[in-house]
Amino acid sequence: MGSGRWSTDVYTAAADYRAARGQSAFAYSDGGARTVHPDLDPQGVFMRESRDSDEHPFSTPIAVLFDVTGSMGNVPRVLQTKLPQLLGLLTRKNYAIDPQLMFGAIGDATCDRAPLQIGQFESDNRMDDDLANIVLEGGGGGQKRESYELALYFMARHTILDSMINRGRRGYLFIIGDEMPYPWVKPGEVKAVIGDELPRKIATEDILHELQRKFDVYYILPTAAGWGGDKEVLARWKSLLGQNVLELDDLDAVCETIALTVGLGEDAIDLDEGIADLSDVGSVAGGSVGRALARLPRNPVVRDAPFEITAGPSGNQRL
Amino acid sequence: MSGEHVAVVDLGYGDAGKGTVVDALCAEREISAVIRFNGGAQAAHNVITEDGRHHTFAQFGSGTLRGVPTHLTRFCVVDPLALAAEAKALGNPFHLLTVDGDALLATPWHRAANQRNRATRRHGTCGMGIGETMAYALRAPDAPRIADTLRPGRLRRRLAAVRDALGDCEFPLDDVVDAFTAFARTVRIVHDDHTDRLLAEGPCVFEGAQGVLLDEWHGWHPHTTWSTTTFDNVAALCPAFRRLGVVRTYTTRHGPGPFVTEAPELDLPEAHNGRDAWQGAFRTGHFDAVAHRYAMEVTGGVDALAVTHLDVPDRCPDLRICPSYRVDGESWDRIVPGPPRDLDYQERIGRRLLRARPESLYRPDDWAAEISDLLNAPVVLESHGPTTRDKRHRAFT
Repeated sequence: MGSGRWSTDVYTAAADYRAARGQSAFAYSDGGARTVHPDLDPQGVFMRESRDSDEHPFSTPIAVLFDVTGSMGNVPRVLQTKLPQLLGLLTRKNYAIDPQLMFGAIGDATCDRAPLQIGQFESDNRMDDDLANIVLEGGGGGQKRESYELALYFMARHTILDSMINRGRRGYLFIIGDEMPYPWVKPGEVKAVIGDELPRKIATEDILHELQRKFDVYYILPTAAGWGGDKEVLARWKSLLGQNVLELDDLDAVCETIALTVGLGEDAIDLDEGIADLSDVGSVAGGSVGRALARLPRNPVVRDAPFEITAGPSGNQRL
Repeated sequence: MSGEHVAVVDLGYGDAGKGTVVDALCAEREISAVIRFNGGAQAAHNVITEDGRHHTFAQFGSGTLRGVPTHLTRFCVVDPLALAAEAKALGNPFHLLTVDGDALLATPWHRAANQRNRATRRHGTCGMGIGETMAYALRAPDAPRIADTLRPGRLRRRLAAVRDALGDCEFPLDDVVDAFTAFARTVRIVHDDHTDRLLAEGPCVFEGAQGVLLDEWHGWHPHTTWSTTTFDNVAALCPAFRRLGVVRTYTTRHGPGPFVTEAPELDLPEAHNGRDAWQGAFRTGHFDAVAHRYAMEVTGGVDALAVTHLDVPDRCPDLRICPSYRVDGESWDRIVPGPPRDLDYQERIGRRLLRARPESLYRPDDWAAEISDLLNAPVVLESHGPTTRDKRHRAFT
């Protein structure tokens, strides 16, 4: 025993921790930015589009929005390091055809400077740039509530999905957070953040029902977060989303959890196959993912007749 | 010991070579994680890899140079400041590190109080504030823990309470909050079920700190550490594991306290354990079979032994084994364990040990075999030098 050889200076430690994150893709935020990056600003946005194209004829829209307020601690940082792998996971095992990913961030419209940040649906790693430009708010209201309902409103009214229009297939929306939504979508906040004129407030339940016509909505509660495992938060989201509330005990497993949820939804795999796939690709997340997804109902999102791939392998690739 | 979890515990006063043993176990087969179950930043486990890389591990596990993840359980005292420096020396392998949110947080106020309070120095202190952190947590239910670094408001309140209770340190509260918040953004903080997940994934190595003879309840009070150095914490974390005891071919002690076989005249140069301001000299002596047998007895025995420094007896012809003491005109070959948690008893043993001298000393032909006989456990790992190349494995029987 007895080393004492490691410096214990406060300032060196703080600088070292920051330097250790020097590769942080949150360069925009870490550069001192405190307002929404123009690419992510929902103000005045008509639609975020997930479109079929010659290259990606069968787009599968997948949106991941995470809470960036203080109670989430380092969770957004871990997500930031993990989420870029998501596209690869989805495509490697053909869990989804032509996945198009969108990232965004949720804050608190009652007090934050960046209450809502919304990227674009992308089929390649341009979405990594969106991740890099997300401002980590770090504040929050301290009321166990964030403006999730504002995000639900945006996703319901300001996204357009060819998968839905052309094939009757909903997209996937994952919200990662540890607090509850406010009960109402408030016209003042919608005006200030998005720019729409709402005649009256909308109950969070109502906007969610509207959104669920377009997206399968999941809520992921990382148990490492500030309110992780909080009974009230869990109960609220379960009342909104039922079994689509996933408790995740290992943040490292977030990509795998999302990928398998999509794979299950697309009816590409069952849970055991998915977990076996994870071990095939060298992931150790199987246990956490299995626990998170164990009670997920197997309700594929197919609305029309079963969908056949007719155009050969997906054109999706990682740049 | 293929698929089994292994706990590595030092049967002496620390410094027997847990680091090199843990590294060897990690080199031998696929290990899910090295799990730390006691101690904190004061640990110093030296590892030298075959390619000559050397690191003195304190909070990172001794498998880090092989890419094995480290998990610091709730039994550890975590010092984010020392951790930053250690991580930097290792190339910031934060992707290999997880910390239980319930682990106690060592702060500069704990350290300042530790260094001010000279009376605590004989308590085997390293000046890192580990003991102060444990002591404060015993009396303060809101002692700062790792998970608090995720919530700056609460962190600040709890740190301020430490400052108010223990006295100020050289750093302003705001700056410590800032550093600890930076820690929380860099290090992955997990819940206690993380240990179960690691154990389910594959074999883990539990890496002990210090040694059984320094255990808070079984050592020679007050020259002990504020830490459970036996297998007890491992048993609280893991249902079944192999118990691997580590001893050197000679006995060492860093810091003050009884040391019957101490023999400063022996020529035993120590590469990585020098004198330091808090613990005093690194002391060496003949193999103390009496004390090691006591360690075996109080820790409930081991399944196997790792014997390190087997190359030393050849270089040190005067090195001997001490099978019994002489004290107050009597022979003494078994230190009888006392009632549970009886520090008065432990202190009486310590005082008697101070009067004891080696009764006889002898030199065996085969050191590993002799130590195996004396401690009544098979030797499964022999270490003849600092690197993994110098290790010889034998199968568990």
